[in-house]
Amino acid sequence: MKKNLMLAATLVCGCALLAAETYTFGGSTTVQPIANVAIEKFTASKPDVRISYEGVGSGTGLKQLSEGTLTLAGSSRDLKKSELDAGLVPVAIASDALTVVVNKDVRVANLTKDQLAGIYSGTIVNWNEVGGKDEKIEVVNRDETSGTFGAFKELVLDPKKIAFTKNAIVAKENGEVAAKVASTPGAIGYVGLGFVEEITKAGGKALAIDGVDPSVKTTLDGSYPLSRKLYMVTKGPAKAKSIEKAFIDYVLSARGKVIIKEAGFIPLK
Amino acid sequence: MTKVRRFMEAGLERTFLACALLSIASVALMTVFIFRQGLPLFAKVSLPDFLLSTDWFPSRDPNPGYGILSFIVGSVFVTVMSLAISVPVGISTGIFLAEMAGRRFGPFLRAAVELLAGIPSVIYGLFGIAVIVPLVRMIPGGNGYSALSSSIVLAIMVLPTIINMTEVSVRSVPNELREGSLALGATRWQTISGVLVPAARSGIVTGVVLGMGRALGETMAVLLVGGNAPIMPAGPLSMVRTLTMNVITDMAYAEGTHLTALFATAIVLFVFILALNVFIQVALKRAVKESTR
Repeated sequence: MKKNLMLAATLVCGCALLAAETYTFGGSTTVQPIANVAIEKFTASKPDVRISYEGVGSGTGLKQLSEGTLTLAGSSRDLKKSELDAGLVPVAIASDALTVVVNKDVRVANLTKDQLAGIYSGTIVNWNEVGGKDEKIEVVNRDETSGTFGAFKELVLDPKKIAFTKNAIVAKENGEVAAKVASTPGAIGYVGLGFVEEITKAGGKALAIDGVDPSVKTTLDGSYPLSRKLYMVTKGPAKAKSIEKAFIDYVLSARGKVIIKEAGFIPLK
Repeated sequence: MTKVRRFMEAGLERTFLACALLSIASVALMTVFIFRQGLPLFAKVSLPDFLLSTDWFPSRDPNPGYGILSFIVGSVFVTVMSLAISVPVGISTGIFLAEMAGRRFGPFLRAAVELLAGIPSVIYGLFGIAVIVPLVRMIPGGNGYSALSSSIVLAIMVLPTIINMTEVSVRSVPNELREGSLALGATRWQTISGVLVPAARSGIVTGVVLGMGRALGETMAVLLVGGNAPIMPAGPLSMVRTLTMNVITDMAYAEGTHLTALFATAIVLFVFILALNVFIQVALKRAVKESTR
């Protein structure tokens, strides 16, 4: 009897699964906190729609999108020409500021973009070269394939055509950067604006760049030098009435803006 | 009746054989998989450029660098340093457990060692970040994320292996040897160093090599405390990236030649571990021969 019940239950669940439409989204891990919450709220009123978001990184996500594995990708960087040529269509959903954070013992409050480039390329190695006390700078970098690494490289190093120093701690996640910067004297790192709180909680602080403090306001008005946009990308323009189009509209709606704000990013006006 | 029994016997035998084949198949499949994913790299990067260059920068565009020499050196360096710490401590503890620990303290110590063996490696890593890294930063200096910190964490991790193997092999030395030595007037220390350890050496060496394998293959713990900078380690206080760290750091997002290079890194690690295993087999065979002599 018990067996029969279980069998019946399995069948019912199985049918429910079969009846549901399933979609796989994915891409940037920066976009993931937005996507996860948005998917949860978006599907709450649609019991027969199932959406998952795979945090595989911007590059891989865009690749899988053009291959058809994903039907919508999140990207934390601008699309390359080759990706646009392949028919991918980005829709900007939010702004993000890369925030430069330092350990609490660092006495510097502002860096110019040039100084930042010097520190990350290894030509500036002591805090006294940028107005601080005599202390070695411990550079914390991200893994080469992360979108945040790519954004920092494009915004800070590429304009000067220089490369990252290799003499840097390499952290795999925003959270690991926060932990290592907060616990290592003389450390400097960069994270998304949404992760600054983790650092300030642990006693670290965010730096102003070129005299501009990172904030929602300075990012939106474009005065903060290290800002970037986050995108939802589809292959070809999202079709009217498709779930992807409805989802992008949801993210851009007033409710979506609340989600974006709560995830620590800046909704577009 | 006998027919049924014979049938059952044959069926059981087949089942067991199938299980045995399953594990062989896993190893074979894994080998084929890693080599198939990794070998295409050498169509783009020459073997010397891969093994003998220290230039690792797969995301550089143009001219990406795929040299892993720094990581090979890092792996060997960290492994050797961790053994330099764990071998003396581990062998001493093993001998103590086998020969000197009393009925009360022995089981207590043994339970502690077994517990040490069961702790997941990420916990070792967190312990390393919270305790070892600040200690290394404070006492010898540097930023704390270093080859030394990794070696200390690894040393603690491989201790149980070395301790257990030493204890078991010292215990299995025939009692006549022990008694004979003491009867000849040798002190306890002379008995241990002159009779027991030489008699148990194959087992002890096996334990050390097993520990070496574990240290070489460990990923999570060293990832958290090694610093992970892709540079040639300049000394114990320098940051380090090992082969395993290199594979895991970019694996989640890598694509194209970069991904292939990570699999090729895994091949190098695989060959290292394979060589160690062959060494263990030979050492074990020698141990068996000696004990049956």
